[in-house]
Amino acid sequence: MDFKESQNFKIEPASLKEVRVFAREIFKRSSIFEKDTDDLVLALAEAAQNIVKHGYGNQPTSDEMKIVIKFEDNVLSMELMDKGKPVVPSNIKPRDLDDIKAGGLGTFFIGQIMDEVVFKTTKVNWVNHLILTKSFN
Amino acid sequence: MSYKVTEENNIATVYLNGEIDMDVTEKAKEVIMPLIEAKKEVHLNLKDVEYMDSSGISVLIESHQQATELGTKVILKEISKSVLKVIMMAKLEQILNLD
Repeated sequence: MDFKESQNFKIEPASLKEVRVFAREIFKRSSIFEKDTDDLVLALAEAAQNIVKHGYGNQPTSDEMKIVIKFEDNVLSMELMDKGKPVVPSNIKPRDLDDIKAGGLGTFFIGQIMDEVVFKTTKVNWVNHLILTKSFN
Repeated sequence: MSYKVTEENNIATVYLNGEIDMDVTEKAKEVIMPLIEAKKEVHLNLKDVEYMDSSGISVLIESHQQATELGTKVILKEISKSVLKVIMMAKLEQILNLD
């Protein structure tokens, strides 16, 4: 059941719904994702939102982001690539749960849902390359 | 996202519908915040909200905080299963007023 799907999206808030539709269509293909679909879609959409909000400061751009969803050897990976402001991984902090404010919640959700969150800087033609993975073994 | 507002005495009920993400948070705030500023008790009916992300949760937090500051309150009513899951993931079920 291995697969790999990719799609480019405009970097704007309105694209987040398209990102969710893209992911849901893929996760519908197999019952293995049924229980986790909502969470996985949320994690991916939060990561895409971070690109719009932080990578580009929610400013209009002609750039696009690329999303790749891959399932191989029972491991799901969702990769997001963009050319926005370079991410400094050590600056990314999830919300402190005792501090009741909105900032950092998306990152916190991603961490709760996925097994691993990795930033890579090696992808040619892109600035940021985020890889979210979850094992279905 | 679409919405409907009903008011009775000092209680304003906002029925939110659809998906609440970054794209619609400003619209949601424009509906909710003036009611809080008018010191109404605001009931947010979330029965028909199918999806809410961290931006939507931030609207709930900001509304709650603004209401507390102004001596009124925001109560979340008929919370859909998917929204409740996100509220619980954010560990906000003890902080927001859930009914």
